[in-house]
Amino acid sequence: MTDQIKINVNGSEISSKPDQLIIEACEDSGIHIPRFCWHKRMDPVGMCRMCLVEVETPRGKALVPSCTTKVSEDLVVDTESDVVKKAQEGVLEFLLINHPLDCPVCDKAGECPLQDQTMAYGPGESRFVEDKRHFEKPIPISEIILLDRERCILCARCTRFSDEISGDPLIEFIQRGNKTQVNTFPDEPFRSYFSGNTVQICPVGALTSSSYRFKARPWDLKKVSSTSNCSSVGDSVELNVSQNKMLRILGEDNEFTNQGWLSDKGRYNFEYLHSDKRIETPILVKNSNKELTINETMELISNEILTSENPNISFIVGHNSTNEEYYALNKFVENLNKVENENTVSTTNFYLSDDYLYNGFFNDDYSLGEIKDLDSADTIILWAQDIKDNLPTLYLRIKQAVKNGKKLLIFGHTNTAIKELSEEYYGENIVTNNFEFNVDLSDIPNLSKYIDGKDVLAIIGKASPLQNVNPIFQLVKHLDQNSNLKILNCFSKGNTLGALQNLDIVKGLNEFVTEFDSSKKNIVFTVGSNPVNNSIYSHKIKEALIDSDFVVSLDLFKNETTELSDIILPTTTFGEKEGTFTNLEMRTLMQNKILPTPGSALNEWEYWLILSNKMNLLESYGTEAELNSMLCKDYIDNGNIPSFDNLNKPSNLDGILNSKTINIEVKNIDSTNLEILFVHRLYGDSSSQINSPSISMLGSERFIEMNSATYFGSYMLHSDVVTLIQENNSIQVNVNINENLPDNLLVIPINRRGFQDLNPEKKVELEAAKSREQLSVT
Amino acid sequence: MSWEKALIDKAKEIIDMYPQKRSALGPLLYLAQEKDGYISNDSIVEISNLIGITEVQVKSVASFYSMYKEEQTGKYLLSVCKSISCEINDSRSVIDSVKNFTGLENYETDTEKVFTFEEVECIGACGGAPAVQVNYETVEGLTPEKSLQMCEWLKEERPEIIVAEELQEKFGGVKSFDWAIKDNTGSSYSVPGFQNIGTAKEKS
Ligand code: SF4
Ligand code: FES
Ligand code: FES
Repeated sequence: MTDQIKINVNGSEISSKPDQLIIEACEDSGIHIPRFCWHKRMDPVGMCRMCLVEVETPRGKALVPSCTTKVSEDLVVDTESDVVKKAQEGVLEFLLINHPLDCPVCDKAGECPLQDQTMAYGPGESRFVEDKRHFEKPIPISEIILLDRERCILCARCTRFSDEISGDPLIEFIQRGNKTQVNTFPDEPFRSYFSGNTVQICPVGALTSSSYRFKARPWDLKKVSSTSNCSSVGDSVELNVSQNKMLRILGEDNEFTNQGWLSDKGRYNFEYLHSDKRIETPILVKNSNKELTINETMELISNEILTSENPNISFIVGHNSTNEEYYALNKFVENLNKVENENTVSTTNFYLSDDYLYNGFFNDDYSLGEIKDLDSADTIILWAQDIKDNLPTLYLRIKQAVKNGKKLLIFGHTNTAIKELSEEYYGENIVTNNFEFNVDLSDIPNLSKYIDGKDVLAIIGKASPLQNVNPIFQLVKHLDQNSNLKILNCFSKGNTLGALQNLDIVKGLNEFVTEFDSSKKNIVFTVGSNPVNNSIYSHKIKEALIDSDFVVSLDLFKNETTELSDIILPTTTFGEKEGTFTNLEMRTLMQNKILPTPGSALNEWEYWLILSNKMNLLESYGTEAELNSMLCKDYIDNGNIPSFDNLNKPSNLDGILNSKTINIEVKNIDSTNLEILFVHRLYGDSSSQINSPSISMLGSERFIEMNSATYFGSYMLHSDVVTLIQENNSIQVNVNINENLPDNLLVIPINRRGFQDLNPEKKVELEAAKSREQLSVT
Repeated sequence: MSWEKALIDKAKEIIDMYPQKRSALGPLLYLAQEKDGYISNDSIVEISNLIGITEVQVKSVASFYSMYKEEQTGKYLLSVCKSISCEINDSRSVIDSVKNFTGLENYETDTEKVFTFEEVECIGACGGAPAVQVNYETVEGLTPEKSLQMCEWLKEERPEIIVAEELQEKFGGVKSFDWAIKDNTGSSYSVPGFQNIGTAKEKS
């Protein structure tokens, strides 16, 4: 290949891309150069000098840092000469001058690059007899991160990450020379959605997570690769388990998805797995929570279905099931529809528990994009729900693309948090508070400049649960006519695409509510979903469930929905089951099992199987693997199927792209609410989060947002605590001012406690409550 | 204390001199220093809002450079050079006489907040060693006696504005060279007198 050049490393020739750094070129050819500060996903700084190598220059050999020096044709590099070794020893000796020898009590010991490299390249002895520098031992720099400044070797990985990658530089080097330390500004903690990444990349034990401190030794950990349910990006992760407890989740570098990074939700949302509130046996709720055996419950459920007169059976499904589980459910329902007896089932329906579900762009007409197209497109269009809160790692990819010169155009006011990344921000002058165009599309300023004839990747989804979807289609049509358009369907939650691909026809919660006919016999299954909380339809769903004849919930915890159930079936989740996951670009990845199943819980598919057997429905599978090979039959490209076998091949660890026919039947909404925008925040009150003590408090604050004109003008508020009133509901909330919002709009996080009873179609009133000081709330 | 409108306006003028807002950080820190005699956390918050970087990023720069003070200085910051040329020319005794008079150790400030004493590295006046700066206005060719007189004078007179020429005339000795342009401006408080950001003060 012409775009390769030759360089000579330690006497042998290797080829490298021109412009590559020496450290990278060597790495690609399997030659490891020790390093602390260099990280392949961040700009080099040349801070630690551990990567010194000798290169030949016209003036003889010279030591250069291989992380800041680029290769050139016929460059001669020595990574192992005596001079290099001496330099490495020297660097380590200096680093160890102030580094405490507290490895026996350090979380990093055993996987510490400083420890390992001191063993491999260190001088073996210290000549330092003076006192080491001292700082107060770990100080909390946020609710979840601790910093031990004595251990820090000043590599600037954490500070660069927070500046370059996550864009919230709340930690920096303070002071100079011997006193240099990483720190936050007083009263301004390191509150970042991505702070946990700094713990993972810190090459020493200076940054630690409160959830993992003193919990385990790396050599005692059992590890397996998997895929995170946190968002539909499907971040690649490594699960770390000791004594059958999940202790830590690390990001894995998947070139196509998360590139090693995770949001803190994705990283720390796991303690719930071992919560003592987990349901471990089937429960008969309406009989004073009596515990039953699986057999008894299955008997009850099958009888209920078989003896009810023409029942409507509804399945409200969540987004944490595996493809295999969705497929098994679909099979079960298919067979159910075939049962013929005097009480034939009248209808069966799947409703996906996601307020943002709409018909999307699938199956033909438009070409679909991948996440990696962010790096090759000229222009990125964003019309979707808040990306940073709902698809945090996709936000990192967008940020990186913008840094590399891609133009980002944002429509509407749901992505105010990343306004500063955008080239054009088409706010209230272009779209209304409920996402309808104010202007003719061809009149949008500068739009044609950025799209005409350009490669455009449009991240498109419903921006607000209540929006009319016609403008979305209008925009996409306009883009398609003028550019080389690719669409990334923006459904944000977990394995949504797996549900869409494996369930025959999927409807939304609004359909459930409107189609619900209380004059009929209703049997409702909630499958890993809690629709009585966190949805704008929650209050209506609650009424419907109360009116239902029989409700079965498959879940991990008791929650708002299970309170209304007849039977709760304990299920398994992330880490406890094996299966496949399909992300928003339809890349299918493996989710692996590393934990035992708690109590008598079963996988969802096992319930469908037992129920089928009880009802004499014929099923031909008995394991996840069999389900997997069955569902693999309907992928569109049958050469590249994401079967377990294929996904476990080393070449496919990053996942396999493939698609299936998708049928979503969501009706357009005609009621709008121009005053309120309902949003989902990263942290909320999901059962998994509130049962994970390390992060439970992060979703506890109740707040609404508005701009100051609205605050002072429309509502004439002069208090940062207000009471939100709607009919019989009143909720005390904090007000956050966000100047990027349009006038007269209130932003309400529907996944925070207390908001689920609001009627989304009605107005709310605000009343100034006493100020925080008056209430003496701290 | 947060900044008053006049100061914010001045800051905005300075910001306008740069193509990027954040480039104004250095001068704005001097404004903060001139206001309080040190870089207060309140000022850091103001600056961070004005130029759009985070508070800790401002703090990072403010704490890196030794001319930005983290603790309030006295009305007169006495910076005595301890580097090589001055050392050879007996800066030790100048240091001792200043220390004696003020009763201060390195980096200390007296309780009345009149003097802050510091030993500094070369201040670029080697030709006139030993040299001292008062609020960054340089005097060269000092002796222990002259430096004592200077301190007494400062304490008695409490001049609002310190001008190098005046100090040199009253207490200085050998000069490294003639400072070509006659400059009658000086500084008030522990900030160098810069024309372009308005910290240079005219002595009436
Ligand atoms: S805390 Fe860790 S990552 Fe940050 S500079 Fe120190 S050693 Fe590097
Ligand atoms: S890795 Fe090259 S200087 Fe740190
Ligand atoms: S050594 Fe004192 S001024 Fe240069």
